[in-house]
Amino acid sequence: MNQIIDISNWQLLLGLLFILLAQISSFVFHLGLNRDIAIGTVRTFAQLFLMGFVLTYILETERMLLVVGVFLVMVVSAIFIIKGRVAEKQVSYLLPTFLTMLVSYFATAMFVSGLIIGSSPWWEPRYFLPAGGMVIGNSMSALAISLERFFRDLRQQRDQIEMQLSLGAGYREASAEIFRNSVKAGMIPSINAMMGVGLVFIPGMMSGQILAGIDPMIAIRYQIVVMLMLVGATALSSVTIMLLIRKRCFGSGEELLLTSS
Amino acid sequence: MTAPILEIQDLSFSYDGATEKIFSHLNLKVEEGEFLLVKGPSGKGKSTLLRLICRLQQPRSGIIRYRSRDITQIAPSTLRSSISFVAQIPRMIDASVKENLLLPFSFEANKAKSAPSDHSLSQMLRNFYLESVPLTHSAMKLSIGQMQRLAIMRAILLQPDILLLDEPTSALDPESAGMVFSLIERLNTNEGKTLITVTHSDYVPQAPRAAVYRLHERTLHQEK
Repeated sequence: MNQIIDISNWQLLLGLLFILLAQISSFVFHLGLNRDIAIGTVRTFAQLFLMGFVLTYILETERMLLVVGVFLVMVVSAIFIIKGRVAEKQVSYLLPTFLTMLVSYFATAMFVSGLIIGSSPWWEPRYFLPAGGMVIGNSMSALAISLERFFRDLRQQRDQIEMQLSLGAGYREASAEIFRNSVKAGMIPSINAMMGVGLVFIPGMMSGQILAGIDPMIAIRYQIVVMLMLVGATALSSVTIMLLIRKRCFGSGEELLLTSS
Repeated sequence: MTAPILEIQDLSFSYDGATEKIFSHLNLKVEEGEFLLVKGPSGKGKSTLLRLICRLQQPRSGIIRYRSRDITQIAPSTLRSSISFVAQIPRMIDASVKENLLLPFSFEANKAKSAPSDHSLSQMLRNFYLESVPLTHSAMKLSIGQMQRLAIMRAILLQPDILLLDEPTSALDPESAGMVFSLIERLNTNEGKTLITVTHSDYVPQAPRAAVYRLHERTLHQEK
């Protein structure tokens, strides 16, 4: 009963039938997604097999620097994904975003791995890397949403901001509502996930553990920790990044630097 | 002889990436209580001049002094409480007339200033030809002319030393424009407010101390 069923190469290729279905849909309805689906499929196979080999090695390692190095690579990759999603040219946001992600996600993963799960050492790769990976993956989307919304609203509401600045508002006061709305926009998906978890969907990590034969009562405890961790990490990183980036959107005279072009 | 309330020295400005300058070596002195009307065709930098004075934009070179102090040495919010700018298109928050009028008093830089009572606000609304507008009325439902007068009133409530008005009548019908111009002149003659108004219209102020300038060849020339 507890024996894990391995997926053979042939069985894995059977999964490509789902991709065939998506390709046919794209072709018939002219969705223009055929190329992206093909590239995405190849990348999924290549990246995950590569990760499998790396993890097999990493999970056995006793070298902290190697584990931290892998974490660093994950954060750097996340930055490139954010760069692709947030098309902002006037304000340089990448370095503060990178530093915020690095510090807040590292602290979160360290707290979860070392303190809540209680692994010893705290960087035990079996716990630290999955925790870090989930935080980075989820929070990265939240950050991209927040940043995108923040830059867009500052531009769209330029007249309102300048009206308030003209009446003696500081840049923080003039952008307070946009700040709030941007952070909220990033946080809402992780809060909504807490509302629906266990009712509307079974989360990926928990499903994975159950498929691997873990007792569901243990799996749910891990999942609860993950859900709480994601909300906390998203709040911490979104607020920090907004505080750092907001200052860069205003000049020395607290004038709004973003223009509509 | 007292120092001018506002002095612009050798001001130059061009937009980012533009080769042509909007202003070059522009000089100006404004005495307290003076009424300046700056005229010139659209797109020649009239609005930019006002925005530079209240630091909504930064000059490339030159100095602007307010009461003999370089404005870059004054906290921006403090400066803008003393030099109020009213934009060409008046902006309101989605709230009542009263909430819009009291908005500036919610800002940290204006906390020391006492907010006017409902009675004073109603009285001022009458003076601004807005007697038919109740304080509880939604500001977003006002006509553009009413919004313009409300925006000027809101700026005045802060008791600024200088009022900068950017094309205050450009979006108005002749009747509303007449009201706004008479209001502006009254602020200068009765209350002694220092005013700088930019316009491309043919309006000639009747105020006794009014000085008309024309923006030409990237600098200001006073008309006799």
